[in-house]
Amino acid sequence: MVSWMYLELARRNLKRQRMRTLLAIIGIIIGVMTISSVGIFGNSLKMSTIELFQDVANEIVIYPSFPDGYNSIDHQTLRIIDKMADIKIAIPVKSESGLITLGKKKAYVTIYGLEEDGVKELFDLKSGSVSLAGNNVVVGSILAEKFNLRVGSKIGLENHSFRVAGILEEKGRSFDINPDRGIIISERTFDTLYSGEYEMVIVKTVSIDNVEEVSKTIKDVINKRETKIRVWEMKNILESINRAFTYISRFLMAIAGISLLVAGVSILNIMLMSAIERTKEIGVMKAIGASRKEIMLIFLLETLILGAIGSSIGGFLSILGGYGIDLIILKSTKYIFIPKTALYVMEGVVFGLGVSIISGLYPAWKASNLEPIEALRYE
Amino acid sequence: MEASNAVIKLVKVYKIYTMGRQEIRAVNNVSLSVNSGEFISIMGPSGSGKTTLLNLIGCLDRPTKGKVFLDGVNVSSLNDIALTGIRRDKIGFVFQQFNLIPTLNAIENVELPMIFKGIEKQKREMRAKKLLELVGMEDKAAHRPAEMSGGEQQRIAIARALANNPAIILADEPTGNLDSKTGRDIMELLKDLNMKGRTIIVVTHDPVVAEYSERIIRIKDGKLDVS
Repeated sequence: MVSWMYLELARRNLKRQRMRTLLAIIGIIIGVMTISSVGIFGNSLKMSTIELFQDVANEIVIYPSFPDGYNSIDHQTLRIIDKMADIKIAIPVKSESGLITLGKKKAYVTIYGLEEDGVKELFDLKSGSVSLAGNNVVVGSILAEKFNLRVGSKIGLENHSFRVAGILEEKGRSFDINPDRGIIISERTFDTLYSGEYEMVIVKTVSIDNVEEVSKTIKDVINKRETKIRVWEMKNILESINRAFTYISRFLMAIAGISLLVAGVSILNIMLMSAIERTKEIGVMKAIGASRKEIMLIFLLETLILGAIGSSIGGFLSILGGYGIDLIILKSTKYIFIPKTALYVMEGVVFGLGVSIISGLYPAWKASNLEPIEALRYE
Repeated sequence: MEASNAVIKLVKVYKIYTMGRQEIRAVNNVSLSVNSGEFISIMGPSGSGKTTLLNLIGCLDRPTKGKVFLDGVNVSSLNDIALTGIRRDKIGFVFQQFNLIPTLNAIENVELPMIFKGIEKQKREMRAKKLLELVGMEDKAAHRPAEMSGGEQQRIAIARALANNPAIILADEPTGNLDSKTGRDIMELLKDLNMKGRTIIVVTHDPVVAEYSERIIRIKDGKLDVS
């Protein structure tokens, strides 16, 4: 059994050179704090980016499989999908390029054929209401601005007159459909103006956790005989973002790790100094029966104490550090007090301890390998 | 001299250093035998090789040639770990400069060899206390070396040397850093230990110190001086 006395001896040896010990600990504190703070910030950055995509993460987009000779999705397929479990809503989409007129102004825009509940699910409304009954239409924000449309405005489409019932919020870049510059009409109206089957079906699952399962079922059932459709999960994007930000975060942490490396070098330095200064003492210990193992242990315990104190203080301060960086750069600290933060703190602490021990190895080895007779002669 | 009773036996021992092309024979063909319970002085001028001889007996150094037996074991063929064990269990060292560990107090210094041996806390504290009483230092148990006089430190060092109950005490100029009165006290203490059966070898150049011993071995230029 290893005696507590070794730990006590290590503690007292560190106290002999208070200033030196303090500086080494500060080095570790800074190193650990930098790594963990950056890790926490990286994670916050990732979380806040993913949050932007969170409301579309349960979305599955189904396209016809063009390479296999399909350019649309038929009613039969839609009905099957509609009946599947764990699906919140299946939104079939038809679209066509159509000519609209407003007084003398005219333009070709994308006309979407959708149902009201689908529109409500996919888009936010800026003004008016989501009503596609009769000759009502809903228009995208950019189109509305360009043609100066308001709720109640009349608009011509394929020689029919329509009334603007609602204007949507701008959706911006999207991976399914983007009606910012388009018009949405009901599917029934669409069918009277144009012909054709669905060009895609947007499926929302009950929860994000169902996405893979639902996606697989759809593929298995519909593509049983022939590959009629292709399925694309919005979650993929989320995962790509997740992965990319994880890499960025790791990279930042690696750069921050340099400061810990510097701290390690300073530990190496002070422990080597300490080993040289205590040469005679080591000689005495060896003469009275200390083995190499025990000398090594005494020295390693010293670096372990340095590492443990520095790492734990650094780990604690890194939460403050992460809080500060988040506040300055992200202007939000809501991703600080989450379980993942503890992980980054722990990572910093583990690296801190690891670097301390590794830096202590050489001086400890050097001390333990002193020849007792040489060491005793040292003045 | 009966071989069976010899606790230390050196057979044609050499310690040769080479400096450049020059060969220095610090110990040159020394054979000697020490019986259990003897009190021996090794005397000689400085540079005569007496400390080297003591280091060879104390397993701090290995002979270039020849054999060293401790308790019948040929230690010149042992590896580092085994030599460490012998130093810890069979030999107690007393140095000229006391060489206590400055961060440890008196009783902890005495406990240290027992810690290296792995003796449990209670047992070693009890023994350390007894040893401090033996050397008359029980009042100074909590004092650090810097808070003690030279004579006091040397007493603690002797208690430390006795920690693992070794058969042999090796003392290298134990009174060298002490005034003559204190030096005599220390020698009395060593003599006492010898009376209780401990084998003691003292290296000294001081004839007054040597007088405490039963036998004086003189060494000159690495050779036993039999003249």
